[in-house]
Amino acid sequence: MTVKVEVVEGGVPHTKIMVAGIVASLVCLYLSYLNVLTNTEMFSFFGGLAVVSALIWGSHTIKVLCSYGIGTGVPSAGMISFGSGVIAMLLATKFGIVAPIAALIIGVVVGVILGYLSNEVLNMKIPAMIQSLTELAVVGAFTLMGFAVLMTGGFTFTSLTTGSITILGVALPSFQVTFIGGSLIATAFLLGALAVQHPFNACLGPGWTQDRMLMCAAECGFLSMFVAAIMSFALVPAGSAIISTIIGLIGWAYTYCKYMGLSKRDAASWLDAKPIPEVEGH
Amino acid sequence: MNNIVFGIGITALIGALAAVAGAAEDTESNIGSQGDPNSQVQLAPQMGYIHRIFNKAIAGEPPAYGLWIVLGAGLAWSFMAMQLNAVLAIVLGSVLAVFVQGVYATTAYVGRTASLKKFGQPIYVDILKSMTTVTMAHAFIAIFCTVTLCYLMNAALGHPFPLPLLGFVWGIALGAAGSATGNPYYGKERQYQNQKFGAGVPIAQSGNIVRYAEAGERNSLDNGFFTAKLGGPASGVCFGLIVFLELWRTILFENISAGWGAIIIGVLMILVFTIIDRYIEVWGRKTYGPYAKPEEAKS
Repeated sequence: MTVKVEVVEGGVPHTKIMVAGIVASLVCLYLSYLNVLTNTEMFSFFGGLAVVSALIWGSHTIKVLCSYGIGTGVPSAGMISFGSGVIAMLLATKFGIVAPIAALIIGVVVGVILGYLSNEVLNMKIPAMIQSLTELAVVGAFTLMGFAVLMTGGFTFTSLTTGSITILGVALPSFQVTFIGGSLIATAFLLGALAVQHPFNACLGPGWTQDRMLMCAAECGFLSMFVAAIMSFALVPAGSAIISTIIGLIGWAYTYCKYMGLSKRDAASWLDAKPIPEVEGH
Repeated sequence: MNNIVFGIGITALIGALAAVAGAAEDTESNIGSQGDPNSQVQLAPQMGYIHRIFNKAIAGEPPAYGLWIVLGAGLAWSFMAMQLNAVLAIVLGSVLAVFVQGVYATTAYVGRTASLKKFGQPIYVDILKSMTTVTMAHAFIAIFCTVTLCYLMNAALGHPFPLPLLGFVWGIALGAAGSATGNPYYGKERQYQNQKFGAGVPIAQSGNIVRYAEAGERNSLDNGFFTAKLGGPASGVCFGLIVFLELWRTILFENISAGWGAIIIGVLMILVFTIIDRYIEVWGRKTYGPYAKPEEAKS
């Protein structure tokens, strides 16, 4: 299992993508704090942008990890990313304003423990394992936190567990209509878990190219942002939800067209209703 | 007593919805060559067998269906929280979830196929257009039925979980039922109709999947037709039984010794099914398979 099948050749080095991912996600999460400063929820869409940047970084981490011949493990990498990320994210929300940084630190701790267990106890002995699982845990935590900000407007535990329900024109506090009480976190979990593994899972093969995969990651991120923004109509004012929805939709349409263009560039041929071409020897 | 009769009625309705969902799910995933059959569809061009079969690998079926259903349920939950009518909310939620499914399907197909450039596998735009829409139609049925059954569990049977969490649980269960029951027909037999029945896949034949149909070249709609006949209904029965028996034992026996009645009945059911499964397996091997006892290694 330790034979490295393919390496990242050319393109942007992984470290650069990782640093850019961490910085962009943290900045976006903190920009959403403008919600508190301006006493609105207009800046919730920054959560969605944090999701996109974390997913781009995460998809490349999966590429690095899965280059070590664990082809069928691509979807499970997405699952462990969010399984460990949800622990870090939930615990971090208790830290108030430092929540995003707390998510980073707790994610690193959880990831290192999981990486150690799989490499040393389960004896997988994959060189990139510890670093990749650590990165993936942080990706999961950032993505879930981004979804939380997008849907509720805040990343503190209070904003995720207190909502209000209007009965006969009277607003009553309610735990049921919240990110955690309504289990929207389950939706965010799978939205992120599939979005982080899909780009590499969809683009793997001998003709893998980095720009195409990263474009696919951005596309998955914006698509998830779009549907999450629609869910946010239930929890944030309509104006803020509309902003997030429009940004998600425009971002998705742009990246989707780009991705299709890159696939056309990389494909052997692009045929419409043509028979199987003749190949020598068959 | 009235409560129990009402509960059993709802349980029967939920079971029927689950059966439809299971059948649609397996047909959808087989048209997309997801799960079990996928590796061979992916491998075929590398062995020189260029094909016109749709190949949308979006994780395995359980996580993929986990997402579609939890998304449909989450959106439906949000629409209901916005005071929308439940039926409308579920339909809108399912439509948006199907949109996401369709987008994932197209990116998976073009991405995987573009990475096979070296082997000359073309991207067929007509396949993309016709197969994606058909899988989306089937996925809509599966998502709508499953979200509806989750809603019924929550609203009519008083299940304590919120709708998205029920969608999470039953979505993964639906994908697992379709993957375990329906796919082997396609992955183990239909792709290898040119091999001896029940012989497995010899390594030399890896990737040599059936690419030509009764007339012309086979595409995934032919697989959909085939699945709708056998694999789909089998998956439907499987998922329907899972959901129905699960609720049936809870409704009838949960009042016996503070819930332990339902658990004991559950364990008994697992035992009964294990015995039935073993009997069928042994009978199937004896009747159909060329499964000879492995010979001792000759020195």
